[in-house]
Amino acid sequence: MVDFSWAPRSPLEKALVAGVHGARGIEAGVSLTEIRNFDLVQVMARRGKAADMATAAKVRFGVAAPETPTAVGAADATLIWSGPDQFFVLSKGGKHSTEALAQAFASSASLSDQSHARVLISISGDKARAMLAKLSSIDLHPDAFPVGAAAATSIDHTSVTLRRGNDRDGLAVFNLLVFATFAESLWHTMLDSAAEYGVVIGHSEEF
Amino acid sequence: MRIVCPFCGERELGEFTYLGDAKPMRPEAGASEDEVFDYVYLRDNAAGQTSEHWYHGGGCRAWLKVTRNTLTHEISAVEPAAGVGARQVAK
Repeated sequence: MVDFSWAPRSPLEKALVAGVHGARGIEAGVSLTEIRNFDLVQVMARRGKAADMATAAKVRFGVAAPETPTAVGAADATLIWSGPDQFFVLSKGGKHSTEALAQAFASSASLSDQSHARVLISISGDKARAMLAKLSSIDLHPDAFPVGAAAATSIDHTSVTLRRGNDRDGLAVFNLLVFATFAESLWHTMLDSAAEYGVVIGHSEEF
Repeated sequence: MRIVCPFCGERELGEFTYLGDAKPMRPEAGASEDEVFDYVYLRDNAAGQTSEHWYHGGGCRAWLKVTRNTLTHEISAVEPAAGVGARQVAK
């Protein structure tokens, strides 16, 4: 019998080279950070069960799940709108894994584990918005896309879930979820877009 | 052209895919051959208001019913297609 040893690797293992890229001699305007080791579960209401799913979410997380394109912070998870009657649960440490959530949503929603199916990229820096504006057709102006806003949209013909997290050092932070197999392509596109501003690249285990 | 998705807001055309006329309704199982032929093959080529199905594949992945004027491309209404989102379907 063969003993399997699973060693999860990031889809950006090769593409991501930590350090400073692009324009030199100026302070880097964009930070691209891959967030690794997260739990991501898609929760989709079963037919006619949207109200039950909403109740179950409230009981489980203590906050109402988003019904509009927004992200809602719970104590140890972020609930991100992903479409009508569906949302993502983003968390760490297995507390809200598919197995952990199964009981809570057993009679109202279907769960799908997306933890290894998406790549999570955090985009920050004072040129983050300028860089994203070259790629995205949605309005990222603070008035139109405030903290907590989320969007299911396309960047470079690739479906992404774009979300604005809490500001850091007074600057906007954008978090992007992309399908794992499209991540490398999108990574290179974003790197090209950010190069003129100077880019700091890294990865982190922290949200 | 832009479409205002009832779930996501205003989005560029590239996020959507056109399916076709939203008017034809599948005939009952015992329908005549003429009715089935009409449903499968015959389409109105309206100059003016049409009802169309569009898919927001680059966004929330919802099917939409779009009322569009073929002469001006003006979109006068966008609504979820029947059955979109579990909420829209009666218990």
